[in-house]
Amino acid sequence: MAAPPLVCVRGTAFGSWSVSTRPAPPNDAELFRLIVESATDFAIFTMDADRAITTWNIGAERLFGYPEADIIGSSADRIFTPEDQTGGIPALECKQAARDGSALDERWHQRKDGTRFWASGLMMPLRQKQGFVKITRDRTEQHTANEHLREEEERFRLLATSIPQLVFRTRANGERTWPSPQWIDFTGVDREASIGLGWLDAIHPDDREMTRNAWREAAQAGKYYVEHRVRRQKDGEYRWHQTRAQPIDKANPATSEWVGTTTDIHDLRGLKDRQQMLLAELQHRTRNLLAVVGSIANRTARAGVSLDDFRKDFQNRLRALSSVQSLLSRGEREAIELRALIESELSAHLGPGLSPERVEMTGPRVTLGATAAQALGLALHELTTNAVKYGALSQPCGRLSVRWDRDASGPQETARLEWQETGLTLPEAEPARKGYGRELIERALPYQLKAATRLEFRPIGVYCVIAVPISESIPTHS
Amino acid sequence: MVERMTELPTDVLQGRRLLVVEDDYWLADDLARSLEELGAEVVGPVGSIHDALAQIAGDGALDGAVLDINLNGHQVYAVADALAARRVPFVFTTGYDRVAVPETYAAIPLCTKPTDALALAKCLAAELTR
Repeated sequence: MAAPPLVCVRGTAFGSWSVSTRPAPPNDAELFRLIVESATDFAIFTMDADRAITTWNIGAERLFGYPEADIIGSSADRIFTPEDQTGGIPALECKQAARDGSALDERWHQRKDGTRFWASGLMMPLRQKQGFVKITRDRTEQHTANEHLREEEERFRLLATSIPQLVFRTRANGERTWPSPQWIDFTGVDREASIGLGWLDAIHPDDREMTRNAWREAAQAGKYYVEHRVRRQKDGEYRWHQTRAQPIDKANPATSEWVGTTTDIHDLRGLKDRQQMLLAELQHRTRNLLAVVGSIANRTARAGVSLDDFRKDFQNRLRALSSVQSLLSRGEREAIELRALIESELSAHLGPGLSPERVEMTGPRVTLGATAAQALGLALHELTTNAVKYGALSQPCGRLSVRWDRDASGPQETARLEWQETGLTLPEAEPARKGYGRELIERALPYQLKAATRLEFRPIGVYCVIAVPISESIPTHS
Repeated sequence: MVERMTELPTDVLQGRRLLVVEDDYWLADDLARSLEELGAEVVGPVGSIHDALAQIAGDGALDGAVLDINLNGHQVYAVADALAARRVPFVFTTGYDRVAVPETYAAIPLCTKPTDALALAKCLAAELTR
């Protein structure tokens, strides 16, 4: 409302009139009465030294439910809860007000109908006569809201401090306001040091810029996400973590408080990398194996055999390849015992019960890598097939001795295998066959494994020596 | 086979000195024969990085090379770098996918195994005439 037009009055000759006719301010008692009566949201009442109610405004009537006539003269204690009455709270409040000049009245009060509300007010002693005035109002809603907020905070704190993730509260620009105890435990960067941008000290130096830049875009995007390395205090190891954060007030991400978590994904990442590596390796091996199968097919066909013979030889060679593969997949760290390789090949032709009188196998424990095992397995297959068709295993009088040993006398340790067939009487010393098997032993093994080989077709049977460097045969990529 | 051969400009590899690096004897032999049939002079084949580097350092300039990426578990890139330093064109042959090959060699043609020797020869011929 506009102020009264004083200018007109001041410009007149009736100065004294204007002063004398100005409305007199209400006296204190009148003012008090006006305030008390209009303050319907406030309970305002007085009591004497014995806490008997002496005045009771309309607000008090509304708030507590007692009409003025019913409560004047009765004890003010009845507006307290029974437990507070038992606890002597009404007297304590008066005592405190008398001593300190005022006492806070922040507690549950009880209405006439027994319901309760949260009162927030003040009790003050009256100066002139013994007694007190109390001004209070209903703050139940605010009180409940505050309680809820406190519970929420407590729940958040409980969650944030009990999950394995490192939780933090932050501003939209990445400045931290609260790190969880787990963060402090994990990084060793304490609360004070973490506040603001101090927490960046725990991030790997190479990842810091990226981590900060992501915060610059976070408010715009409404979320924060990075994968970065966080230093573990315990052993100084930088471990991969995934950090996410979101604004609490999603509508105003730039001004809102944000909450985030940092989760250890180090092992997961390692597994993922390893899985990818294994997959690439598997692909490589499968394709290589197909290439080997293709070249075996080529060579088997090139010998100028009939289709029937091709099919038989090709199938046998594939079987030899496959049995080496299954040995490889069974073995540890993709290594194969030489004895297992020999037995696997011979048993394919002789059955499981290798007769010790006809076939002798002696040698120490020698372990071969995948590449050597595959090539050597194919060579043993060729030797065995030849022995079964034309050699020691084709006649009852034939004998086969397979001996092997380790030889460390040269610059590189080798596994030396000696295949010797005896007891035969062969018409020709050297067959004219220059097939796949012979090329495999005489050329492929020296090429692929740096092996030294010797193959002789003697009148008493085949004699073959294969010396494979052992360290060469262990692949380094697996 | 014969039909495919006619697709090749038959004289591109004629008289070229080509290094073959492949650790599998049979694949190396197949490839060497195919390249020779096309008139090339094959250097090697060799199955290790050591032998390949020795051939590169040896007498006589190379006109091109075919490199298997994985040689008994060792990666062939040292050989690739030596060739690149001498401006010798080359192609890769491998069982790996392109993603397994470092970014540095992104421009090098890649023949995925199993590849037939003629397709590879064609791929190499294209590199030589670039």
